[in-house]
Parts: sequence; C-alpha cells; structure tokens
Amino acid sequence: MHIIEFIFSPLLALLIGVFFLGLARKVMARIQWRYGPPVMQPLIDIIRLLSQKSASHGVAFNIGLVMSLAGSLVITLFLPFGKIAPMSNSGGMLVILYLMLIGPLGMAISSGESANPNASIGISRKLLLAMGYELPFLLVVLALMKAYNTTSITEIVSLQRDTGWSMFTFPLVLSGIAYLLILPAMLGVRPFEVVNAPQEISSGPLVEYGGPYLALATLQHALALFIGISLFVNLMWGGAANPVIFFLKMLVVFFLGIFVNAVFPRLRIDQAIRYLWRWPSLIAFAGLILVCVTGS
Amino acid sequence: MTGMEILLLVAFGGVMLTYILGRISSSLRNTFAVVLSLVLVVIIALMYDKTGETIFYRGFFGIPMVLRINSLSWIFAMTISFIGCLSVIFSLDYMKVKERTSFFYAMLLLVNSSMMGIVLAGDLLTLFIFWEIMSWSTFLLISYNGGPAIAAGMKYIVMSFAGSMAMLAGIISIFTAFGTLQISEIAAGMSSASSGFKIFIVIVFGIAFGVKNAIWPFHAWLPQAHAEAPSPFSAVLSGVLIKMGVFGFILTMYVVVGLGTYMSLGGAIFSVRSILLVMGAITILVPTFVALLQDDAKKLLAWSTIAQAGYIMLGIAYGTSLSMAGGVLHFLSHVVFKSLLFMTVGAVEFRTGGIRDLNSLGGLIKKMPFAFTGTLIGVCGLIGVPLTNGFVSKWLIYKSLIFGSPLLTFVALFGTWGTVLYSYKLIHNIFLGQLPEKLKDVENTPLSMKLPMIILSFTVLLFGILPGLPLRVINKIVVSLGFDSLNISLWGIVSESGMLNMINLFAAILAGLIAVWLFLRIGARTIPVKQDDNYAAGAAVPRDRYNYTVKFYDPLLRMISPYLRDIFDTFYMKIADLTGYLSNGIRKIYTGYVGNYVMYIVLFISLMIFVQMKWSPW
Repeated sequence: MHIIEFIFSPLLALLIGVFFLGLARKVMARIQWRYGPPVMQPLIDIIRLLSQKSASHGVAFNIGLVMSLAGSLVITLFLPFGKIAPMSNSGGMLVILYLMLIGPLGMAISSGESANPNASIGISRKLLLAMGYELPFLLVVLALMKAYNTTSITEIVSLQRDTGWSMFTFPLVLSGIAYLLILPAMLGVRPFEVVNAPQEISSGPLVEYGGPYLALATLQHALALFIGISLFVNLMWGGAANPVIFFLKMLVVFFLGIFVNAVFPRLRIDQAIRYLWRWPSLIAFAGLILVCVTGS
Repeated sequence: MTGMEILLLVAFGGVMLTYILGRISSSLRNTFAVVLSLVLVVIIALMYDKTGETIFYRGFFGIPMVLRINSLSWIFAMTISFIGCLSVIFSLDYMKVKERTSFFYAMLLLVNSSMMGIVLAGDLLTLFIFWEIMSWSTFLLISYNGGPAIAAGMKYIVMSFAGSMAMLAGIISIFTAFGTLQISEIAAGMSSASSGFKIFIVIVFGIAFGVKNAIWPFHAWLPQAHAEAPSPFSAVLSGVLIKMGVFGFILTMYVVVGLGTYMSLGGAIFSVRSILLVMGAITILVPTFVALLQDDAKKLLAWSTIAQAGYIMLGIAYGTSLSMAGGVLHFLSHVVFKSLLFMTVGAVEFRTGGIRDLNSLGGLIKKMPFAFTGTLIGVCGLIGVPLTNGFVSKWLIYKSLIFGSPLLTFVALFGTWGTVLYSYKLIHNIFLGQLPEKLKDVENTPLSMKLPMIILSFTVLLFGILPGLPLRVINKIVVSLGFDSLNISLWGIVSESGMLNMINLFAAILAGLIAVWLFLRIGARTIPVKQDDNYAAGAAVPRDRYNYTVKFYDPLLRMISPYLRDIFDTFYMKIADLTGYLSNGIRKIYTGYVGNYVMYIVLFISLMIFVQMKWSPW
C-alpha cells in the first residue's frame, strides 16, 4: 500500500498537471471564441518531443533540468492529495518551502548554461517575481502555522476538518484574501506571465530547449501548476479526505486562475513587484498580526 | 605539560619556524606549513571529549593564567585548525606568484594559533592577550596587498580597537568586582552581582564581540576587509575569524552571565534578549539586500557573511536548546560553505588574472568545471537547499523561532529569498552565460586548490545528509550550557514540534533524480553544441555582446536602492574625518623650527613656576 503511494502520487501529479495544461488551452480558446486544440494535445506533444533530436549546451544544462523536475516530484510526496501523503512524516511545511526552491534553481542553472540572454532575462525575472510573491506568501504561511500551532501540513489539513476552511475562519480571513491575491503570481499566469513572455523574450528560460529537454520542461511546468494549486487547496480550502473532492477543489481554483489569465494584460516586472509588495503584503501582514494578537 | 600547552607551543613555535625556513627554501617552508597545520588538526582531534583546566603561568602580578578545554572550545578549535589547514593547502598555488610569501604563511599560521589560544583560554586575561595577537596579525594580512587594502585594514584595526578597549574595560571592572579573572570563578560571582552590573558586562563584551562578528551596527569594517584580503585568508576571515565573536557571545551570555539570568535580564520590553534578537534580524535583512547591489564577487560574499552572522545571532540569542543547537550548527555550516565559496572565487581570481568584477566574467563553466561544482554546492548550502548542511541548521533556527516570534522567522525566511537572488547572480555571472573572448585560454583549477574544494564540498553534503554527526557534539555543548538535551539520531532530529528525517529526503531526491534521468535517456539523442550555436531571432550571434549580466536585478534595485543607505558606515566615516581634522589642527604645533620648540619649553616651565608660586600645590 505504502510503496504504491510513493509511485502513485508523483504520477498522479504529473497526469493532473498535464491535463490542466491541455484544459487551459482549450478553455482559453473557448473564451476567445476559437475552437482550440484537443485536451490531450500537451501529452501528444510530450511524446512527440521525446522522439526528436535536440541540441545540448553542456552538463549543467542537462543536470539542472533533471534536478528541477526531480525536486518538484519529491514535493508531491509531501503534499497531501486527499489523504495520500506518503512522506509527510519526514518533514512539514518548512521542508516543502525549501524543496520549492529546487525547481526554480535547477531550471535557472540549466537555462543559464544555454548562454542565451533571453534565458538569463527570463531567469532574472523569475527570481524577482518569486521574491515579490514570497513576501506575502511567507506571511500567510507563518500566520497559518501560528494559528494552528503546527508546522505539519497534514495536521493543518486535519485541523481544518473540525474548524472549517481556514479561509473562512476568523483570524485567518485576511491571510486567505492575501493568498488569493497572489495566487496568479505563484501560478505564473497573466498578468504575471513575465517569465516566459513569448512575444518579448522568446519564452525566456525555455528558449534553448528542444526535443526531450522541452518535454522535461513542459512536465516541470505542469508540476509547478499542480503544486501551486494543491498547496492553496490544502492550506486554505481545507484539503479533502477524498481524492475526488480534492481534485474538484483544484479544478475550481484552476478555473479561477484561467479566468484571470484570460482577461488581464501582462504587467512589467517592476509593476508586478510593486503590486505584490503593496496590498497583498499589507493584508498578509495585518493577518499575521491578527493571528498573533488573538492567538495568544 | 597537558595537551593544550603542547598544542599552543607547537602552533606558536611553528609560526617562528615557518618564517625562518622561508629564508632558506620556499618549498621546505611550504611542506613544513602543511605538515604543521595537519599536526594541529590531529592534536585537536585527539582531545575530543576531554574537559579540564590547567594553570600554565602565574607570573603576571600573581594572576593565574589558565587554559581550559570543553566541548565548546573543542568544536571551535577543530574548525579553526581544519579551515586553517585547508587554507594553507589552498595558498600553495595561490601565493606562488606573490611576494613576501614567508611573511604571509607566518601570519596565516599566527592568526590560526592565536584563535586557538582564544578558544582555549580559561581566564579573561589570556583571552584578551590572544585576542590582541589575533587582531594585529589579521590587520597585517588584510593590508597584505597594499593600495586599497591598507585603507580596508585601517578601518578594521580602528573598529577592532574600539572593541578591545570595551573588552578591557569589562575585564578591569570584573577584576575589581570579584578579584579573579578565571571564567569558571567569575560565573559563580556573577550570580550575586546587581543586574545593572550584568547589563554593563553584556554591553561592553557585546561591543567587543559584535565588532568581530560584524553584527549590525558594527559591520562597517567587514566588506572592504574581506574583499581586499588574499583569497585563502578571506576564507579564514569569513569562515572562522569572525566566528570568534560567536564564541565570545556564547561565553558571555551563557557561561559568564548564565542561562537563567540572561533570559530575564533587562526590562520587560527592552530586555537584553529581545534587543539582541532584533539586531540579529536587522543583520539578516539589510546586508542581504546590500549584497544584491554588489558587483565585486568577494564583496558580495562578504555582505552575505554579515547576513549569515545574523542567522547565527538569532539562534544563539533566542535561548532554547533547539535554537542554540541551530545557532552553533549554522556557525559550523557557514564555516564550511563560505570558506568553500571564497576558495572557488579565489580560484577564478587566480586563473583569470585577478578579475573579481562580476560584470566582466561569464561562461567559465566550460573552463573551470571544478570550481563551478564547488560554487554550486556552496551556494546550495548558503541558500539552504535540502541535503546541504545549511538546510538543517536553518531548519533548526526557524523551528525554534516559529511559534515564539513569527515576525523574526519571517525576516529570516525572507532573507533566504534574497540569498537565492544574490547566489544566482554570483554563479550566473561567473560561470554561466557566454564565455568572453579574452577568457578563452583560462586553465582549469590547480590541484592544490581542488583538494580543499573537494573536502569542503563533501563536508557540505555529508553534514546535510547525516546531520547527526555534528549535532551529537553540539548537543553536548547545549547540555553543558544548561539547556535540555535534544533527541538526536544520525539522520535528523525529533523535536517536540515536528521531526526531520534527512535520510528519507535523500532517498526520495535520489530516486527522483534517477527516474528523471532515465526518462531523459529514453528520449532521442542529443547533440552537444557550442555557445555560438544559439537562438538570436535569425541574426548572427554577436560575439562578446550576447550576454545579460550587467545590472542583473535592475528592476528591483531601482526600487530598493534609495532605502539602502549605510547610515552607520557614514557615521563612522564622519567620526574618522572629524578625528583627522582635529589631529591636523594639533599637528600644526609641530612647526619643525627649533626656536618654537624652545619657546614651548620655556613657556611651559614658566607656567609651572607661576602655578607653584601662586597656589603651591606641589
């Protein structure tokens, strides 16, 4: 049972992530009155890319990408999907926060070696954007950990079963609002699509990837999407005891993200940081203070 | 003679011998220096798990001078000798092209010996004497390169002096109050002293150790000093020398003042503890962002050193067994990864002919893969990526702070993101991107530089995957300072509020890496290409100009740089200017004309006669 979970949860995460990528294209197309590609298109693309030859820029180019995807796969073992969380005994929220560094860092080293300024600009923006949303995000996470008096994500989920979704419990309302405001930035959708910006910097970090590399990069993107949404559902919307309900909750968050993506134009990176460090941070800060004042 | 006396005798005797041998033959001197530093490592390793005190000299006005060893001094002595040994090995190639090498080696060994004296000191007088030897020999090494290095050294020695004078004031007042300087006896006397006296002691020693540890607002000397010193010594300077301040803080707060008293010292809001914690938090936050502004690789690392000192400060000042273990472990982690980083940057500086400017390097991964791997592991430790030692120590610090003071935890966690940004800038601007034409013939890292890098990289990973190894020794320190014992296993820690299991994490990440690697292998063949074979929207790749390194984080820096003025540095420089101005005024008395001096003497004597006739005080 346990060993099956270890293989099952990363595969499930990949599958859902890739499904979301396909669904995103379809929904976006319907919003724009187009027909759109089939939902399976990203999966077909990944299989096709694996069979194509491609250029490699060196050892770090390969290893960075592998490191990035492996790091993201390990996070899925820590994140509860319904009740499936095979490695939640080995570390809590703090470990997840730090594991979340491996993905972007590996990607940064890999595309850095591709020696293309477009990639470097993309990475620079990625790190700046992360700096931008990490400030309110850390305040939100600390408020949660303080309010539930635990650093274990499974305990945060199970405590919400008694109290209701933390987004709608009293001292955490502000944190919930702040989290919702920064969620598009964490998922990297428009208006925060500064990193890949295809029309501006030729897809940024992805510019030199082709063939199997692009397949891995796509999988990494899919996993990042999965992790971002799953973390929000677990922390704010009470997770779920049942994987199916958990998936439905993720779907709702995903559609919210797509709708935002569909109607907003892209911000510049400095505008994005200014936005993230203003209202979401203030609200998250107020939320943390509220938790500290009422909690003790 | 006990082990400690032999150790110091070997260490200081070796310094002299190294200098003398340098006059005869340089290769003989190099061999001797390496063997000597290895012997010191062995002697200290043999003293593991020993405790004891010994009086080695009674002659100083009847005050006994004492050496003592316990688990706290052992772990510091071990790191000093270990890093000292590696930096001597690193110097072998680095110093080949320089002049006055005998002087350099002798001074490097002298700094190491005096630091060992500090951590083994059993009374405050011995501590002060070794402290001064360390300060002076460090000054000589910082200004070794001349030019701007002399200004950096002056700044260091002046601030260091202010610190030592504060310490001397503390030592004298302790002696007048208790009539002894022996640390174990002072601790007994302190418990009955008034709280005002205790606060005074904490403040004067806090200034002395704060200057050395570069805690905000005493950090001003560090960036220039670290940047201008020769790289092997920068590793020692940043790794262990400033950690003497950490040692001093632990000694003052938990041995001299005592755990129970320290926790309740001062008022309710402005307690000593909360002030130290806030200082630690500021030390993390501001220097992290200043590091982002730097274009000099070693200056960037220097500012990062200040920021990491803030983490150590948070851990030590918080005062629970978990945070104490975190603080000491972070000291140990920082020693390893920061020495590693200074060495890799030093290797790049050595091979590129002294280039430290991050804007004019790039693409060196193809030429110096070894230094790249070292830097990568080093920055992973610095950031605290899981499976490196930095992760475990930061985890311990966060874990202990998280429920008590979430705001401090927030500052520490947010500082990590700043660390990611400047670390990536360091590694990208040196090793990634396009290789400039002028660096086409850069050679690989020499063997004597590879060896320390391998050992340090291995240690970063070993302590990250099996944190129980250092934590067992640290647990002894924690217990000896009066805290509860921690529940430690070889692969992690079981605390009351959650556990950490690094072996499981290691297995998971390894399995993930293998799986993804196999997946990549399943795919089609990949063809290695040159850096010019690159996407440039259909145009030819412009040689030497197809790079993005200058102003790497410009959008952010334009936003934050107006807020990042170093008010304390400006303040210190103003004081220095004012002193210079006053001294210049006084200097005008010395006209260089003998008649004037005769007139001064005559005037002075007549004044004296006048005073005697009028009031007859003598």
